[in-house]
Amino acid sequence: MSATDWAWLVLAFPLAGSLVIALGFRVLSPKAAGWIGTGAIALAFVSSIGALLMLLDEPTDARQLTDSLYQYASAAGLEIDLGILVDPLSVFMCLVVTGVSTLIHLYSVAYMDSDAGYRRFFSYLNFFVFSMLLLVLAGNFVILIVGWAFVGFASYALISYWYRRHTATTAGMKAFVINVVGDIGLVFAAFFVFRELGTFDFLDSFDAARETFTTNEGVVVAICCLMLVGAFAKSAQVPLHTWLPDAMEGPTPVSALIHAATMVTAGVYLIARMFPFFELAPTAADIAAFIGLATLLIASTIALAVTDLKRIIAYSTMSQIGYMVVGVSIGAYVGGLFHLMTHAFFKALLFMAAGSVIAAMANVQNIDRMSGFRRAMPLTSGLLVIGCLALAAFPGTSGFFSKDEILAFASDRGGMYLIFTIGGYIGAFMTAIYAFRIGFRVTTGEPCEEARELERGHLHHAEPRNPATGEGEDTDVGFPGPEHQIAERRRPMAIAMSVLAAGALFGGLIQIPGVDAVLEHFLEGTFESSPLFHIVPSTAASWFGLLIGGVISIAGIGVAYYCYVANPGVTARLIARVPRVHRFLLNKWYFDELQDALVYRPAIAIGRFANSVFERVVVDGIVNAATGVVRGAGSVVRGAQSGFVRAYALLLIGGFAALGVYFLVVSS
Amino acid sequence: MDIAWYLVLSALLFAVGAGGVLIRRSPLVILLCLELMLNAGNLALVAFARSAGNEEGQVFALVVMVVAACEVVIGLGLIVAMFRRRLALDVDAMRELKG
Amino acid sequence: MLNVILWAPLAAGVLLLIAPRPAARWIGAAGALVTLGFAIALVLDFDSAAPGLQHVVDESWIPDLGVRYELGVDGISVFLVLLTAVLWTAGTLFSALRSYPEDGRTRFYYFLLALGETAALGAFLAQDLLLFVLFFDLMLVPFFFLIGAFGSGERIAATTKMIVYTLVGSLLMLVGAIATAILVAQDTGELSFSIADLRANLLSAGSQEWIFCFFAAAFLVKMPAFPIHGWMPDAYRAAPLPVVLLLSGVLSKVGAYGFLRIVLPVYPEATVTFQEVVMVIAVASILYGSVMAFTQTNVRLVAGYSSVAQLGFITLGVFSLRDDGADGAVLQMVNHGLVVAAIFVVIGILYARTRTEDLTEMGGQAMRAPVLAALFLVVTLATLAMPGSANFIGEFYILNGAFQSKIALAFVAAIGVALAAFYALRLYQRTMHNRLPEGVDSREISLRDSVVLAPLVACIVALALWPGVILDRGEASVDQNVGAVAALGTDCSTQANTTVEPANTAVLCE
Repeated sequence: MSATDWAWLVLAFPLAGSLVIALGFRVLSPKAAGWIGTGAIALAFVSSIGALLMLLDEPTDARQLTDSLYQYASAAGLEIDLGILVDPLSVFMCLVVTGVSTLIHLYSVAYMDSDAGYRRFFSYLNFFVFSMLLLVLAGNFVILIVGWAFVGFASYALISYWYRRHTATTAGMKAFVINVVGDIGLVFAAFFVFRELGTFDFLDSFDAARETFTTNEGVVVAICCLMLVGAFAKSAQVPLHTWLPDAMEGPTPVSALIHAATMVTAGVYLIARMFPFFELAPTAADIAAFIGLATLLIASTIALAVTDLKRIIAYSTMSQIGYMVVGVSIGAYVGGLFHLMTHAFFKALLFMAAGSVIAAMANVQNIDRMSGFRRAMPLTSGLLVIGCLALAAFPGTSGFFSKDEILAFASDRGGMYLIFTIGGYIGAFMTAIYAFRIGFRVTTGEPCEEARELERGHLHHAEPRNPATGEGEDTDVGFPGPEHQIAERRRPMAIAMSVLAAGALFGGLIQIPGVDAVLEHFLEGTFESSPLFHIVPSTAASWFGLLIGGVISIAGIGVAYYCYVANPGVTARLIARVPRVHRFLLNKWYFDELQDALVYRPAIAIGRFANSVFERVVVDGIVNAATGVVRGAGSVVRGAQSGFVRAYALLLIGGFAALGVYFLVVSS
Repeated sequence: MDIAWYLVLSALLFAVGAGGVLIRRSPLVILLCLELMLNAGNLALVAFARSAGNEEGQVFALVVMVVAACEVVIGLGLIVAMFRRRLALDVDAMRELKG
Repeated sequence: MLNVILWAPLAAGVLLLIAPRPAARWIGAAGALVTLGFAIALVLDFDSAAPGLQHVVDESWIPDLGVRYELGVDGISVFLVLLTAVLWTAGTLFSALRSYPEDGRTRFYYFLLALGETAALGAFLAQDLLLFVLFFDLMLVPFFFLIGAFGSGERIAATTKMIVYTLVGSLLMLVGAIATAILVAQDTGELSFSIADLRANLLSAGSQEWIFCFFAAAFLVKMPAFPIHGWMPDAYRAAPLPVVLLLSGVLSKVGAYGFLRIVLPVYPEATVTFQEVVMVIAVASILYGSVMAFTQTNVRLVAGYSSVAQLGFITLGVFSLRDDGADGAVLQMVNHGLVVAAIFVVIGILYARTRTEDLTEMGGQAMRAPVLAALFLVVTLATLAMPGSANFIGEFYILNGAFQSKIALAFVAAIGVALAAFYALRLYQRTMHNRLPEGVDSREISLRDSVVLAPLVACIVALALWPGVILDRGEASVDQNVGAVAALGTDCSTQANTTVEPANTAVLCE
């Protein structure tokens, strides 16, 4: 079996799992569906390893393999194959996606227990994994767009999974429409590529691009900017990020998988995959990096203020992806992708732990109401703290090595790129603070009522309500199920979280500067031709950066300790001192309102105008005017038919007289 | 005799009849004037027949008289129907064919 | 073969007029199924490499006027014929299984349906201009009765409006057709309405222009395109559901097909002159239709305005005057027909449960109806041209064609894609998701409804996997029809080419 054969299997297993569960939903028991789903992804992970091993058999410079299933649409000059590209980058992504997905499926088997739509959940989840794998394995622009859109659809389906909740369906719609905007950007980028280079295939277009385009030529900058539209819509970078916090309406495993570990990283993958184009258009790459930086900082500030636990983690995701975007845009491909991997580990872990905590709180998500779970839920608390440590880039954790690698690369490139280093460190400081805002709030302090109840052995129950609006609900299909599952009581959840915790703690060991560079060597197969890839900061510079990063991380944790453990009233006093700033952050920098005013409201207004005024006045008006004219002419002519016999007689006689006179005159 | 005299008389009679049709409101009188117009035509026909020397005009005058008789029958029938239904014998009041 | 396909429905229609009343609907359905069988056979028998007409039937009909009874099928029309057969089968079966019409004039109703099918098939098969005009106008007759006699609400007013709108266009088209034949006869000495003859002897640019406008009027009204769509809301509201299905699924395509079959080859200079105007009208239709679709509360009108937008895309593809744009338009015609028919079937199913067609009174239907929800979801995704569906490939080809010829319009048209996502998903969510209204139940799809809906969805899915099926067969014929005009678009000599270089190489003449 060659690497491409394994790659087809990687795609086939999740798709088969999704279809089997969907078509057999009447015959399969929920448990069976859960295990089929998990098993399918596990098999995909095994196949990814198979692809990896086969790929490693090839020499380093021949590790980009393509294969095509059939000609999808080839007519009128456009050649579109159902083709895949198997190379180190795509195999890396496959491993991360399938690995983390398997663990999240395992977690969900227990977590989603008692939900009435259990089978639908696993079918959609498997379909999502299939879509994500299609995206990363795509070998040409059209299949990339297909995978891109499938992922967007899966995200919509899973965000609005509890579809009787109005907040969930609205959030799903928002995510989907923004995703479509991104799709359009990608489609136009593909059109440009086809027009200039004559092909949709990745490898062919990369080669052609190097020959055809000069650096920073208008067209290639346009292509890259259009691709950035797609990337930023998917990866929730400013200004197309407003869907991500709302996406927390979905069940927690969904947030873990899609909105932390995999889907939102698709934009990062795209920029990395398209590196030949971006290196030909440094302007676009710089724009991307600056937007990444902006997102990084903005999201961190918001994460300091909002109070919904899942949303804090969501903004943290946005911020961390900002790091990744900066990384791959400035040329730190290894750093960016390494951070992608470690982030997948610790962010998924964080979400899983959050899910456990929220379950203990009976679906309350407000962090201000949580405290003191360390005795009631020791496992969850411990794993949560591990996740927070990795997020805060505490020395030794995976996040430490990955994040600082990006910043070291930026400072090594020097010049303007030092802005990214400085901004990155500022962001890292804020990250450490809010990471341990979560960590300390949930675990330390006096146990809240739910925690005390759990310490006595009783899981808190409450009337089912929408966490956002407080609306009453039931527990039938379309709403969450009646039971809540925590990690302490459900073995699958505990296993999944523990494996991820191990990854979060020790995953950084593969790229220690000066010691080993496993990822760098592996990715060389893809990025060989990139000059930026070969810029490696010296070991000393890297360790210096790591030192600064470590100090900042510990400092941030210290500040969090001060605010949330030692002096609990500090934050309240701070908020009272700068209420307007706090409100600005709490309202997420008013981006939602901005989008509402600039896009949504005008569209609705135009629609209403068209409906009430335009249709009635112009379109109907023209037709009614025409009928009016015809009617009017008719009435005028009707005047001649007066009904007076004498008038008819006059007409008769007069007419004859006139005729007679005419003939007399003519004949004379 | 100069044919012109007969023609002038015919024209005069025709004009009187036409004027009567246009001016009078009673259907009976209109019928009367119609007859006048028809007979004026007859006169002209006979005059021409005499002056041309053949009898075709006189024969045609007979045809006209037949047509006049038929039309009078129908017209009088209409007037009797109007009278029987107690409608005003006024041509201006009969306006149901208004468009 | 073509004669059989064309007249089989009408034969069934006449047969059911003399059959006993309960059997009438089944004879009608059987007639539609038989025609479908023949249409499938036609597609299987089709030679995709040959660019010209196949299965040609050519008889002399009115020799003094030069009108011939000429039928033929090529890559552009073969799938439209199949689409007509499929949708008519769906519409007839839907009516039969739901015991339409309830008032008992069944024989009349099914006869009208059968007559409509023959007329639509005739429009797609005719290769003689006057024959085409005849079938085009004949399509109106059964729909006049179907809406006027069997409709609801303001049906008389709606019918009158539709007839007047369409007839104005049709009469202008008739004038144009006669003028074309006569002017050509002045050059060649022989009066002929055959499209092949008219293509070979082109008129002067001036005459072409005004005749183009007349034909465009007729076709744009049929589709309907933006400024002259006024008949659509009333007709769609008043007509019975199977009739709307056919109006939207098949009749609208006749307009787009007419452009490809008649206007582009016979009036190429005028097409080039008016290319931008029509493209602007197309983009306006896309935007206006989409904007209207997401503010409507009547589900039928959401589907109706979305059709206006989709037909705008198809027109855009045809008038990009490129092989890829036009091939995409052909694919999209079939796609849209299938999708909109499925939507109307779903609307019918929803109406049976909620007794309303107002979105503000619906919701939550997915709760006990997972199969219905799944089928409707597939249809919704196809409507918004989700990549992975055949609609996406159609739109991709169309937008590529528009992009390569007029970039700015392509970008504006792309806004329509985003709007489509919004209105399609809104329709799905407002009917299937959110809470169930008071007193409304959610029921799974019944067997008799799935007999109609499931095959349509199966076709949509099959096309999504193999869009090449239509694209490949259409390629040669599209090339022949569009290539002649494309050559002119570069201001070269007016020798009509039958081959065109691939879309991405340079201009044709040096």
